[in-house]
Amino acid sequence: MKNKTFSKVFWKIVKHAVLLLFVAFTLIPVLWMLSTSFKPKTELYTNLSLIPTRFDFSSYAHVWRETDFPLWFRNSAVISLSSTGLSLVIGSLAAYSLSRFRYRGRNLFGQVLLIIQMFPGILLVIPMFLIMSKINLLDTRLGVIITYLAFGLPTATWMLKGYFDTIPRELEEAAMIDGCSTISAFGRIVLPISGPGITSVAIFTLLLSWNEFLYAFIFLKSSSNYTLTLGLVSFMDQFSNQWDNLMTAATLITLPVLFFFLLLQKYFTRGLIAGATKG
Amino acid sequence: MNGEHGLRTKASSSRRGFGFHDQRTAYRLIFPTLIVIAAVNFYPLFKGIKESFYSYSFIRPWEYAFIGFGNYIRAFQNHEFWSSLWISILWTIGGVILSYVLGLIPAVLLDKPFRGRGIYRTILMIPWIVPPVVSSMTWRWMFSDLDGYINVTLSSLGLISEPIYWLSDTRLALLACIIANVWRTYPFFMVNMLSALSGIPDEVYEAASVDGASKWQTFWYVTFPVILPVTVVSTLLQSIWIFNNFDIIYALTGGGPAERTTTLIIRAYREAFYYLEFGQGAAIAVISMVMMLILGMYYLRLQARTEM
Repeated sequence: MKNKTFSKVFWKIVKHAVLLLFVAFTLIPVLWMLSTSFKPKTELYTNLSLIPTRFDFSSYAHVWRETDFPLWFRNSAVISLSSTGLSLVIGSLAAYSLSRFRYRGRNLFGQVLLIIQMFPGILLVIPMFLIMSKINLLDTRLGVIITYLAFGLPTATWMLKGYFDTIPRELEEAAMIDGCSTISAFGRIVLPISGPGITSVAIFTLLLSWNEFLYAFIFLKSSSNYTLTLGLVSFMDQFSNQWDNLMTAATLITLPVLFFFLLLQKYFTRGLIAGATKG
Repeated sequence: MNGEHGLRTKASSSRRGFGFHDQRTAYRLIFPTLIVIAAVNFYPLFKGIKESFYSYSFIRPWEYAFIGFGNYIRAFQNHEFWSSLWISILWTIGGVILSYVLGLIPAVLLDKPFRGRGIYRTILMIPWIVPPVVSSMTWRWMFSDLDGYINVTLSSLGLISEPIYWLSDTRLALLACIIANVWRTYPFFMVNMLSALSGIPDEVYEAASVDGASKWQTFWYVTFPVILPVTVVSTLLQSIWIFNNFDIIYALTGGGPAERTTTLIIRAYREAFYYLEFGQGAAIAVISMVMMLILGMYYLRLQARTEM
């Protein structure tokens, strides 16, 4: 008996020790980023502490007031929200069709949605650059919003189809016997009860757009049009090794995502389950 | 398959063209998506494939001409192409294996409910939501030669006497990139393994323990077979995503030092937007896509068994 409790306690300690190692591996970079952004310049290279002892907001003031950072923040918000909104509106119709109807080409369409997510971004960005320059959308936010549909729409459609599959169709069928059309059954019955599903798809698509770098990097040339991720990389040249400013910018980009993640974690998790989408 | 079942209910089988039998409505609903995907995915895809067969240089536009497999032959004859291919393979396989193992361990430990489980889970998921460019930038600072966290910590512990040049040593740069990337991708495996593990009922574990199975035997004969399908699917997907990744390496090393972290994707970018050889860049991108399509087809076959 004694032996058994001992081994239980032993395994419990091992378990927590291993998990704490993972916590350290996970959090050290995040804390290092945060503490660098708050450290006074004099302590930057001398103070190794991961938890800031003193809060110095001067690099925040610098990044927010003396660079284009606020503009980039707005650009990122406008671009991610628009492309996510478009993806949801257009994609929900196709998702409903895939989930409820049986027709020729349906399987193929579903497979196309999956295979699209395996194209390397670099393959699309080269011709897309030529197309955008031909139709004068290079260096515009509209051009970036449109290109973000290339990953946003297939992702949203496929995830929403998965969600609609879980909603029993009996309600809609009853409504249709009463003379309701398929489209209005979708609008009046399915959409209103799909709140949680749509939320997680929206969050996931927003996250992909907010974090996107390659398309923005190739298409946007003037600083006033930059997104946050592009702006951060451009800081690298501008500030070279001023890590306090760089880490401040990095923190400011991450905070909104982190905030929503802690608030709405279960919606985030769904996007991470394999087969659903791009990571 | 539960969709098929619904077709046979009395409401929809009474008349053709009614309800979910109405094919025209079905096509109308997917039409907008089809148009957009044709415009933003397939048109660029075909244009990209087309340009890969042309001599297309931005600096010498007058030389634009069909050259068949010229760009491909040039790529295959270039030894830098082969070293990039090798780097791509190391980068992908190293990243996938490490993040799989690092994802599986916490998943197994977090499977059963205990106090603090939710907090661990939340914390370990954080790297996945951090923008890739941000994580590269932070790791770049962590890896910094003289003042980065890693070197300063190692030397204050007395483990090293000289700084380790993580990002400028040709032997270490790829490893540093893989570490930064694994930090970002292991939560994907953790979450997927956790959701697979939650499907194993407690009775199975109890039965195994009654039969006197050791912890290792239980894992090998009970747990592992159950998570095998998820392992295959998530490994396949993650291999494709890691192979295709541009952000992490670009923001961390830019492909250097001495091209030791130049994957095929970085090379395609450099050909197209640095040397402005669009045709050559497109050819390398197409080669990458074909390699990923082979993995993708395998994924679709697995997917077809469980879905639709």
